[in-house]
Amino acid sequence: MKLGIFSFAHMHAYSYAEVLQQVAGVELAVVADEHEARGQEAAARFGARYVRDYQEALKTDLDAVIVCSENAKHAEMAIAAADAGKHVLCEKPIATSVEDAWRMVNGCEKNGVKLQTAFPIRYSTPVRHVKRQIDGGEIGQILALNGTNRGQNPGGWFVDNTLSGGGAVLDHTVHVIDIMRWYTGSEVREVYAEIGTRFSNTPTDDCGLLTLEFANGVIASHDPSWSRPKTFPTWGDVTLKVVGTQGVVKVDAFAQHSTYYNDQSGRVNYLGWGNNADLQLVAGFIDSIRRDQEPLATGLDGLRAMEVALAAYESARTGKPVRIQSAN
Amino acid sequence: MNVVVVGAGFMGTVHAEWYTEMQDVNLLGIVDASAERAESLAKRFGARASLDLGAVLESSRVDIVDVCVPTYLHKDYILQAAAAKAHVIAEKPLALTAQDAKVCIDACEAAGVRLFVGQVVRFFPEYKQIRELVAAGGVGQVGTARALRGGSFPQGWNNWYKDPEKSGSMIVDLMIHDFDFLRWCFGEVERVYAKSLGGGQLSGMDHALVSLRFKSGVIAHVEGTWAQPAGFATEIEIAGSLGMVQHKSSESITVQLQKREADKQSAGVEIPSSPLERSPYYLELAHFLDCIRGKAEPLVTPDDALRALEIGLAAATSARTGGVVELSGPIEGGMSV
Repeated sequence: MKLGIFSFAHMHAYSYAEVLQQVAGVELAVVADEHEARGQEAAARFGARYVRDYQEALKTDLDAVIVCSENAKHAEMAIAAADAGKHVLCEKPIATSVEDAWRMVNGCEKNGVKLQTAFPIRYSTPVRHVKRQIDGGEIGQILALNGTNRGQNPGGWFVDNTLSGGGAVLDHTVHVIDIMRWYTGSEVREVYAEIGTRFSNTPTDDCGLLTLEFANGVIASHDPSWSRPKTFPTWGDVTLKVVGTQGVVKVDAFAQHSTYYNDQSGRVNYLGWGNNADLQLVAGFIDSIRRDQEPLATGLDGLRAMEVALAAYESARTGKPVRIQSAN
Repeated sequence: MNVVVVGAGFMGTVHAEWYTEMQDVNLLGIVDASAERAESLAKRFGARASLDLGAVLESSRVDIVDVCVPTYLHKDYILQAAAAKAHVIAEKPLALTAQDAKVCIDACEAAGVRLFVGQVVRFFPEYKQIRELVAAGGVGQVGTARALRGGSFPQGWNNWYKDPEKSGSMIVDLMIHDFDFLRWCFGEVERVYAKSLGGGQLSGMDHALVSLRFKSGVIAHVEGTWAQPAGFATEIEIAGSLGMVQHKSSESITVQLQKREADKQSAGVEIPSSPLERSPYYLELAHFLDCIRGKAEPLVTPDDALRALEIGLAAATSARTGGVVELSGPIEGGMSV
């Protein structure tokens, strides 16, 4: 199977290219990137052909593409890929507007290609373990959820609203909302959010707090802030606490690490030793194409999670809880 | 100084124990609605047991009345104590409504007696340290704060915690600790939004998620729980432009005792602890006594206690109505803050 990566603007592209080498029967054939130096360097590093224009890559015999461009460019690339009959794995957030996301979902459906949202946390072994515990009734009926996905301000296009569509709240809301939807089997019906720019002089928001209610009555909160200091021992976290009628389960997706006190760098770092969720994500995408099955996290899942983040911005703008129509 | 402890339950026992450790303090009496409980505690400390605070206040010179009864009973005892010109130490929350809290504050002021409210988190060294660090600019401009407190459902006399009419619900009873601490760190709260399981509805559990926006811009998340099957834990994290400080009680277990069951068959029990030479409760009570003696300025004022209560009431209102509660506007009971 031949894959292309469309843009290395998002740093996750490097991780996906890396893990692709470990998936049997898959070749990273093309790197398309309008940023020539970046694209050529990546193509050389991963043994792929470089093209500047992704349209050119779509004329080749690629089976699928991974879209890792700036958020605002996802829709254009994904829809073009779908029209060319290529399956699509799209970086999160899936888009920057509900309209764009729907065009992507419909475009892929119309062309009979897979559209998967890059939600590696769905593939995380501990997160899946908890999904099985919940489905097996270990904690009874879910009553409340409390999530975090904190990180550090990535800078660059991430803090340019026209390219990113939003700051920390868009960047770091979607993963955990996706898991909350997956665990509860319900949609977010109401969002309240406090949003701010407190950690640096950045053009976008860099912190926030979402308070949520699901259609089935479950209450939840989520912290998507870029609030981890430079000295934090790792990039950030993904945690979720689930309160049920029969018990409480907490998952810390990246707690499988050793702590390394390094005098040579003057730093303390966490060295992860858990399963690589990016590998599981990419392998899962390839698998869904080969077996012609629905991906574990679809384009619609990406859309629903993004919708919650966009509703959070609206709530912060209006100062009121926002109802999400599709869930009501 | 002659002290009378009202309420021979969990907190009354804790307070009585520490008073007997202090010099110049005479634990004169224990008052409780149950003669048996009053007598049992009084006997342990060589104090007088009584069913009636009024009788004790009439028959003896009482310097301090320490009110440790369930919250809905606070006001009557505080007013009695003030009328008898005794200083008052009251457990948190001061009252169930802002009006009642104000009545207590005014009565003590009018009687010329001091009123202290047991916002004990201010005396926990880990919280005090974090507040000092943050106040000194240790994390730069604060962006976000997160606090957690809770465990299993507390067992109290007549299961009073379960009745919001008596305890004010978990938001008011338990989370007030973190509301007070965060306000101590960041100043006044502008608005509150909250979701809660609505304690008392579901048997034996409650859980609440509270969003606070401070006038300073700080965003805080406060989680309170009485929904865990076991244990008790606290966590606090404050993140800013130049760093972050966090504390988790689960990571401060300095002594971990494991005991084998006598039958050597069943699993043993673990008893974690984090001992200090002086308990925060001791430090709190000793500080209140120093204030009464004129040796210290109060670390927590009656107004602080009222404000913390108002945040809690605002959160409870938000959880009930689904609306955002602005603290500059009127809150439940029509009181303007």
